Amino acid sequence: MDNPLSLKQRALILASFVAAMILAIVPLPEAIRLLRPDWTALVLVYWCMALPERIGVGSGWVLGLFLDVLYGSLLGEQALAKALLAYLTLRFTLRLRMFPRWQQSLAVGTLVALSDLMLIMIKSLVRGHPPLWSDTAPMIANVILWPFLFGVLREVRRRAKIS
Amino acid sequence: MGTFLGWSIKRPSNLTKLILFVCASVALMVADSHNDQGTHMMRDAVLRASYPLQELAALPFSAGHDAFKGLRTNARLRRDNARLEALNRRLAVKASQLGALRAELAHMAALLHGSPVPGYRASLARILDVSSGPFSQRLTLDEGARDHVFVGQAVIDGHGVIGQVVSVSPDTSQVMLITDPDSGIPVVSERNGLRAIAFGMGSQDRLKIPYLTVTADIRPGDILASSGLGGVYPPGYPVARVTEVTSNPNLAFLKIRAVPLARLGYHTHVLLLWPRKGPNNRKTGHG
Repeated sequence: MDNPLSLKQRALILASFVAAMILAIVPLPEAIRLLRPDWTALVLVYWCMALPERIGVGSGWVLGLFLDVLYGSLLGEQALAKALLAYLTLRFTLRLRMFPRWQQSLAVGTLVALSDLMLIMIKSLVRGHPPLWSDTAPMIANVILWPFLFGVLREVRRRAKIS
Repeated sequence: MGTFLGWSIKRPSNLTKLILFVCASVALMVADSHNDQGTHMMRDAVLRASYPLQELAALPFSAGHDAFKGLRTNARLRRDNARLEALNRRLAVKASQLGALRAELAHMAALLHGSPVPGYRASLARILDVSSGPFSQRLTLDEGARDHVFVGQAVIDGHGVIGQVVSVSPDTSQVMLITDPDSGIPVVSERNGLRAIAFGMGSQDRLKIPYLTVTADIRPGDILASSGLGGVYPPGYPVARVTEVTSNPNLAFLKIRAVPLARLGYHTHVLLLWPRKGPNNRKTGHG
């Protein structure tokens, strides 16, 4: 478990995060923008589950910081949410791994929703944005996307022999 | 030993880390919401690092957008071309009409320079500004002292007397309309030669003719022409048509209303009149 990762493997993990960030900021038409899943959160959850010794709160925080800058949101807002998400995932990682896929996707969705809740709270506190029902749309998209993303990322991880 | 994105670092427990990072986040947020210089620099640095990412995210879409825009531009250009050609054809027709009109105008201007009013030379002047109110009815013309406009000069249009020049600057002049409350124009009834004075009332479609006694022979429909008395206005040029004559036994004079014949609110050009020097002129000017 504690064998050091090769440069290529690290690059692969980093690439998955970069890809998620790109997907997170790709311009979408207004109609489907609401249904954009939180790609970075899901990828973070996956790597936290797969490599809890390597990807954790710190990685989540840095990822969140990048997201803050990319979204132009308050610096630290996404960082906090992603750090929290990473922590929660690490906390439940053993249980998550045991769950059947659909249950797992619900659980992951709940974790991401919790971190989103944190975001919504911060937004309404700091900027006075009221919580909207439309905020829940990405949460549903997350649950739907998770099984597929999990499959893809697991395939990638196995091919690259990251463990 | 733990790792951070794969790089080994020494690390405390997850919960400690969470608390640490939450504190860091909150500090960042507070600093950022106060527009701190440090967070700006940090944001700039991260933004610079993630710039390729944004480019990459925008690439397929901007490329697709460009291609689509190319297609759209082509279609629009064709459509525009057709539309503009049709428009051009219509405009060409109009332009030819315009040429005819211009020729006609030149002809009429030449006629004007001949003699619209006997004993006077006339010239067209463009109206620059109109001030129409109950206390002042004036025009500003684009001809001034340099064009030999003088104070007291009569201004007419094709239908009747408009007013007189009351002030002149080098390039513009002010005309007081006959409807100005300060204006009075000596008139004579075309039907029977009854003399009167028509005063303005501050409204573009009304004149009053006071000081006519109940015995005066004046009826609605009478045309009043300028009499030439006072020497300002050319004699014999139409001024107004009587619209209303009311007799009130309690008053010494008739109440008479007339409507100016000149189309005060219509044109963009008026005629300035210069009296010709000569024996002809003296004969008509009584004042």
